Amino acid sequence: MRMAKKKTGIPRLLAIAGAQRGMLLLSGFLSVISSLLMLTPFLSAYHILQELLRNAADPSGNDVDLLLYWAIAAFVALLAALVFLYASAIASHYAAFSILYTLRIRLAEHLATLPMGFHTRESTGTTRKTLEVNVEKIESFIAHQLPDLAGAIALPLLMLAAMFVLDWRLALACAVPIVAAFVMQGMVFQGKTAQEHTRLYHDALEKMNAAGVEYVRGMPAVKVFGITVRSFLGFHAAIQSYQEQAVQISRTYKHPYTLFFVILSSILAFVLPVGLYLLGREPDPQAFAVTLLLFLVMAPGLPMPVLKLLNIGGNLRMIAEGVERIDALLDLAPVAEPARPQKPRTHDITFDDVHFTYAGTDGTEEAPEALAGVSFVAGENTLTALVGPSGGGKSTIANLIPRFWDVTSGAVRIGGVDIRDMGTAHLMDTVSFVFQDVHLFRDTIEENIRMGRNISHEQVVAAARAARCHDFISALPEGYATRIGEGGTYLSGGEGQRLAIARALLKNAPILVLDEATAFADPENEAQIQQGISSLIRGKTVLVIAHRLTSIREADQILVVDKGRIVERGRHEELLHAEGLYRRMWDAYTEAETWHLPAGRTGAIQEAA
Amino acid sequence: MKRFVDNITGGNPRALLAPCLVSLCTGFCQIVPSLLVFAVFDTMYLAYARGEAMNMAKLWGICGLLVAWIAVEYAARARAHEKTAMVAYDLSAVGRVALAEHLRTLPLGFFGSRDPAALTTMLLGDYNNVETTVSFYVPQLVSAVILPIIVFFIMLLFSPQMALAMFLPLPVCFAIMWLSSGLQKKISGRHVKAREDSAGRLQEYLLGMRDIKSHNLGGERFEALREAFARLKRESLRMEIIVVPIVLIAIAALRSGLTLMLLVGTFLLVGGELSLPIFLLFLLLGMRVVEPLSVALVHYAELRYTALSAERIMAIRRERPLPGTGEAPRGGDIRFDRVSFAYQDTDVLHDVSFLAPAGSVTALVGPSGSGKSTVTRLIARFWEVRQGAIFFDGHDIKTCDPESILSRISMVFQDVYLFKDTIRNNIAVGRQGATDQDVEEAARKACCHDFIVALPQGYDTPVGEGGCTLSGGEKQRISIARALLKDAPVILLDEATASLDPENEISVQQGINALVANKTVLIIAHRLRTVRKADWIVVLDSGRVVEQGTHDGLLAEGGLYRHLWTLQQQAAGWSMRAA
Repeated sequence: MRMAKKKTGIPRLLAIAGAQRGMLLLSGFLSVISSLLMLTPFLSAYHILQELLRNAADPSGNDVDLLLYWAIAAFVALLAALVFLYASAIASHYAAFSILYTLRIRLAEHLATLPMGFHTRESTGTTRKTLEVNVEKIESFIAHQLPDLAGAIALPLLMLAAMFVLDWRLALACAVPIVAAFVMQGMVFQGKTAQEHTRLYHDALEKMNAAGVEYVRGMPAVKVFGITVRSFLGFHAAIQSYQEQAVQISRTYKHPYTLFFVILSSILAFVLPVGLYLLGREPDPQAFAVTLLLFLVMAPGLPMPVLKLLNIGGNLRMIAEGVERIDALLDLAPVAEPARPQKPRTHDITFDDVHFTYAGTDGTEEAPEALAGVSFVAGENTLTALVGPSGGGKSTIANLIPRFWDVTSGAVRIGGVDIRDMGTAHLMDTVSFVFQDVHLFRDTIEENIRMGRNISHEQVVAAARAARCHDFISALPEGYATRIGEGGTYLSGGEGQRLAIARALLKNAPILVLDEATAFADPENEAQIQQGISSLIRGKTVLVIAHRLTSIREADQILVVDKGRIVERGRHEELLHAEGLYRRMWDAYTEAETWHLPAGRTGAIQEAA
Repeated sequence: MKRFVDNITGGNPRALLAPCLVSLCTGFCQIVPSLLVFAVFDTMYLAYARGEAMNMAKLWGICGLLVAWIAVEYAARARAHEKTAMVAYDLSAVGRVALAEHLRTLPLGFFGSRDPAALTTMLLGDYNNVETTVSFYVPQLVSAVILPIIVFFIMLLFSPQMALAMFLPLPVCFAIMWLSSGLQKKISGRHVKAREDSAGRLQEYLLGMRDIKSHNLGGERFEALREAFARLKRESLRMEIIVVPIVLIAIAALRSGLTLMLLVGTFLLVGGELSLPIFLLFLLLGMRVVEPLSVALVHYAELRYTALSAERIMAIRRERPLPGTGEAPRGGDIRFDRVSFAYQDTDVLHDVSFLAPAGSVTALVGPSGSGKSTVTRLIARFWEVRQGAIFFDGHDIKTCDPESILSRISMVFQDVYLFKDTIRNNIAVGRQGATDQDVEEAARKACCHDFIVALPQGYDTPVGEGGCTLSGGEKQRISIARALLKDAPVILLDEATASLDPENEISVQQGINALVANKTVLIIAHRLRTVRKADWIVVLDSGRVVEQGTHDGLLAEGGLYRHLWTLQQQAAGWSMRAA
C-alpha cells in the first residue's frame, strides 16, 4: 500500500485522479476538441476579411455564399464546441464524484481502524472538515481544473501554432509579452518581501479565526459576567490587524499585479509596431495587411486561456494543501493487526506490568505516565471493581482492554493471549462496553439495539425487556420503529443508557467493561438501570469502573487505583480494615452521601406566606 | 436584488459604488484599443478602396497612441485594484465587528440552540465570501452589464440593424439565466439535502466511533454512512447534468449575437448599406463585449453562492435582542405566575406557579425531561415566557434589561466554560476589579486553592481551549469561585450530576455551602437527599407542577415525590453481584 516515495502536490493529485484514468482522458480529449472548434470563428473571420478586402473597391463583387458559409460555419462550430464541452464536463464530473465517493469511504474505513486516542484528541470538526471540505476540493480539481487545464493549454498552443504558420514574426510579437508577463509574475511571488507579507497575512487570518472561535464559544460566559466585547480576548484587535494585513498585501501586489494584467491586455501594442514595420518592407503589402488584420483581431483573445491557467495554478495550491490533510489522515498508523491471529479459550483478563503514556497532542511535551506498572488478574466470571480518585487511571485501564490505545510496555492478556495477537474484529466480539455517554444513531430504536447484527425482532425485544427498556419503547408512538434524533424522538440520558445495556445483552460477549453509569439518571431510571445491569453481568467476566462505592461492596476484587498504580487490592471488608485510601474514600463517600443543602434564612417561607 | 446588496454591504450600498465605478473605468479602457484597431483598419481599407499607397504616417501615429494607452490603462487598473481591496476589507471588518457586537446582545437561549461552529463559520468564513463578492464578483458583473449597454448606444449611432442583431440574443440569454435560477433552486434542494445528510451521518459516525468500533461497524459496514455518501454522489452528478447545459445554452445564446451580426452585416455590405470599416468596428466591439459577459455568466453561480453567505449573516443580524430596559432589583423573591413555555413547537412548561422567597432554598425535582432546567433558564432570560410572568422582587423580568438580570444571578451549571487564560483571570471574571487577594479568598472558599497551588505555575497556569486540562470537579469548583466573587443575590444551581470521585464531591459540596449562604437559591436536584432540608420543594412532571411543599409534607402526601424518594433509597443500597 505504502508508496516508496511519498508524492505531494500535483503529482499526488494526479495519482488520485488516476483511479478514473479512462474517464478523465476522454474528458480531456473532448475538452481539446471543443477548444479546437472554438477557434473556427477566427478562421471564419480570416476568410471573410480576405474576401471583403479583395472586393473593397467594389463591395457588390463579394461572393455572398462564401461569406454566409463562413458565418454559419462559425456558429455551428460554436454549438458543436459547447456540446463537446458538455460531454467533457459530464465525463469529468462522473470521474470526480466517483473518486470522491471512494475516497470518503476509504477515509471512513481508515478512521475506524485508528486507535481511539486519535478520536479523543482530534475534534470531530477537524476530521469532518477533511472528509467534507478537503475531499470536495479534489472535485474541483478533477471535474473542472483538469479538463480546463487540457483546454487552456491546448487552445493558446493551437492558436500560437496557427499564428506561426501564418507569420512567424508576428506570432513572436504575440508570444513575447505573454512570456514576459509570466516570468515577471513568478519573480514577484518568489520575492522575499512578498513571501514575508503572505506569511504575516496568514498569521493574522489564523489569529482572527482562533479569536473568533473563542469569542463565540465563550459568549454565554461573557454575557453572564458582563465582559465588554472590545476588551474580550482581542477579537476586535484581531479583526483590525487582519484588515491591515489584507490591505497591506494588496498594496504590495498592486504594481506587479497591475503590470501583469496590463501587459497581457496590451498585446496589440506589441503586434502593431512589428506589423507596421514589416508592412513597409513587404513586397506585397496588400496580402500582408490581411494577415496583420487577422492578428489584430485574434491577438486580444490569446491571454484569456492563459489567464485561466493562472487561476488554475492558484487553486491548485489550495487543493494540494487539502490533499496533504487527507494524506496526513491516511498515513496515520491503524491499530496493528496480528499476522496470525489467535483466539483465547478462556476469558480471564491479565494485566502484566502495564505502563502507558498518553501521547501529547503535538508530541513535543512529555506527558506523565498514566499507568505506571499495573498488574492484576480478573478471573473468568468474576467481578472486578476499579475505584480511586478521578484522573487516577481507572478509565485508562478500562480503555486498554478493547485496544482503544495500546500499552507502552507490558501486556494485556485475555485467556493468556496478548490482545495484540487477537484480531481486532475478534477482540471486539469478545468484549462489550457500557459507557456513561451513550451514542445513539439517527435510526430506529430497533436498529440502535441491533447494531448491524443479523438477529430477529423477537431477540431485540427480549434484550430490551431484560434491559428494562421495553416499557418506554412500547409507549413511544411507533414503538421499536421510532426514529431517534432529528425528526424523531429524543431519549433521556437514562433511557439511552438502558438501550446501551440492551445492545450489550444482544452482543453477549464473555467480557464486559462497565462504567457504572447511574450517576446521570433520575431515580426512576436509576432503579431500572440497576436491574438491567444485574441481568447483563450474569455469567461474565466483569470489570467495572465504580463511582458509588456501595454498589461494588460485593465485588470479588476491588482495585484501588491512584496516580497510575494499584495502591490497594482486596475485598470490601479487607480494604476497610486496611485503613488506607479505600477507607478514606469510603468515609468521604458516606459523608458526601449524607450532604444536603443548608436551609435558607429561617422563617423565610413563613414571612412570604 | 436590493436585499442582496444590503446584505453584502451591511446596509450600506453606497460602499459598492466606488468599486463598480473603477471597474467600469477599466472596462472602458479596454474598448479604446478596439477603436484604435478600427482606425488602423479604416486607413488600410482606404488604401485598398482607392488603390493608393498606405498612409504609413497615420498608421504609426495610431500605433503611438496604442502604446501610450498602456500608461492610461495601467493607472486605471492600479486604482481599481487598490480601491476595491480597501472597500472590501473595510466592509468585512466593519461587518465582523458589528456582527460580534450584535451576538452579544442576543439572549442566552440563542447560543444554546446554535452550533457554535456554525456561528464561527459565519463570523469568519462567510465574511471572506463577502470580501470576494464585493471586491471581485459584483464590480465585474456590474461592468459586464453596463458596458454592453453603452456599446449598444454607440452602435445604434452607426447602424441600428447591426446593433439590434448583436444585442437581440442578450435578453434571451438573461431570460434563460433568470428562469433557470428557479429550476436550479429546486434541483439544488435535493443536492443540499443529500449533502447535509452525509454531513450529519459523518458527524454521528465520528461521535459514535467508540460504539462503532466495539460493534465492528467501521467504514462501509456502517450502512447509513455508505448510503449517504452514495446518494451525495448521485445527486451531485444529477445536478451537474441538469445545471451545466443551462449555462452552456446561455453562453451559446450570447455568442450567437456575433454570428447574427456577421450574417446581417454581410447582407448589408453586399447591399451597399454598410461600409467595411463600420462592419469591422462592430466585430471588434462585439468581441470586447461578449468576453466579459460570458465570464460574468460563469461567475453568476458563484455570486449566488456568496449570496447565501450574506443571507446567513443577515438572518443573524435580524435576530432581535430581548426587550426590557429597567434596572433589575438588587435582590428579593422570585415568583412564577402561571408560566407556560414552549421551545419551538415542543411544549415544555404549563402553568407553572411557585414562590421562591428571598434568602430561601427552593428545590426543583422530578424525572429527567420534566422541565427543571427550563425553569432556571427562564429566570436568567434565556428565552421569553410564552404565557404568564416571572416576577423578581415584584418586577416582571420582561421589563428589566436582560444584562441587568444576569448581573443579579450566579449560575453554577455542569458545563463550565473556561477562557483560554490563566486560572487567576478565569476566576477574576466573576467581579471586575477583583484583587489577587479577592481571587485567592474565593478560591479557598470554593475549595480550589489547594489544587491550584499544586499546579506548576499556580494561579498563573493557563488553561486550554474549553479548559480541557482540568477535571470536571476542578472546573466546577472554579465556577463556584467565580460565583463567590460575583456575590449575586440569586443563585441558580444544578446539583453536580457528573460523576465525581468522593473527595472531589465533598469539596464541591463545601464550595456550594459557602456560596449559598444568605442567597435566594434555586437548585435542580437529582439526589433527593441533598435537598431534604430545602425550604420548599417543587415537584415537576412533564412540565407541570404536580406537588410542592417541604420534604416531610411531600412524603406525607404519598405522591410522586414519595415514589421517587423510595426508589432512590432502594437504589442507594444496591450492589452488583457476580454470578
